[in-house]
Amino acid sequence: MATIIHAVLGYIFLLLSVRVLSRRPGAQLTLFEFVLIFLMGGVIILATMGDDHSETNAVCAVLVVGLMHRLVSYVKSRFPRWDEWLDGVPLVLLEQGKWQTDVMNKMRVQDTDVMAAAREQGVRTLEQIKYAVLERNGSISIIQEKKSQ
Amino acid sequence: MPVNVPTKPVEDTVPKVNDEVAVGSDLEFQYRWWKFERIVWTFFLLIVIADVLGVFGRGPLAKAHARSKDGTIDLQYERVERFSTPSIMTVKFGPNAIRDGKIQLWVSQSVIKQLGNQRVVPQPLISTVGQDGILYTFPAASAPASASFALEPSSPGVFDFALQVPGAERLSARVYVMP
Repeated sequence: MATIIHAVLGYIFLLLSVRVLSRRPGAQLTLFEFVLIFLMGGVIILATMGDDHSETNAVCAVLVVGLMHRLVSYVKSRFPRWDEWLDGVPLVLLEQGKWQTDVMNKMRVQDTDVMAAAREQGVRTLEQIKYAVLERNGSISIIQEKKSQ
Repeated sequence: MPVNVPTKPVEDTVPKVNDEVAVGSDLEFQYRWWKFERIVWTFFLLIVIADVLGVFGRGPLAKAHARSKDGTIDLQYERVERFSTPSIMTVKFGPNAIRDGKIQLWVSQSVIKQLGNQRVVPQPLISTVGQDGILYTFPAASAPASASFALEPSSPGVFDFALQVPGAERLSARVYVMP
């Protein structure tokens, strides 16, 4: 019983912590994220398992986390407003030649991050970009000037 | 047999930027989120500060000291304990606690059960069960003398406990056990 409660609380707390950490540009995990994931996961697992290191307890904890994940996915798909709170919304970083500086500062995104994403998509200069969008998974989508016309 | 897969027509529900790119951006929500984020981080910071100070145990504010008016018992304990986490409660005895080379100390049942007493140092000569607690008898030569209780709370909650040298004043205290 204690494992189930600890697993549910641990899942909710980790979800909140990771969510408020903000998206960093780049969809792939960096070393910073690896450190966060391993450290946070390691700390939470200690409280979740407690002194009971049995296979039964481990299986129950995994099942609870799986069920919580399923529940959160259901809530996200069923209620769009909750989806926004849980996953965030895409944000426009560059719009028709203008940087959205407030959004960029708050999301800690720099123009070099946008250019890095642009180069990956075959765009050579900033002038070619009509829109740059910070997606919910942290990647930056580039919409080119010529393609949108 | 063909399977009927449910379908619905495509509707353009994703909000557009400048009426040309369907991004689904919602700046109004995002500003609300940033405000919420600031509140959460402030709350997290307050939790960390409170933890350093010992509000949740194992810090300066968690340490407590109590003394019976007649000076028989001087108790050092943690007013905030943590579930399943070891701590030490020390009882110092005044000179009038020693009788015939022995000290007797009664501890309430809550010290054994809820606060999870694991062992007593020094080893008591006799442990007598009864009167809603345990009466320990320790060998003692002269004051100052002390006994330590290794506690490991078995469940979260608020627990009262009491200690008493028979014939002297009873000392009561309250412990908060964090989950």
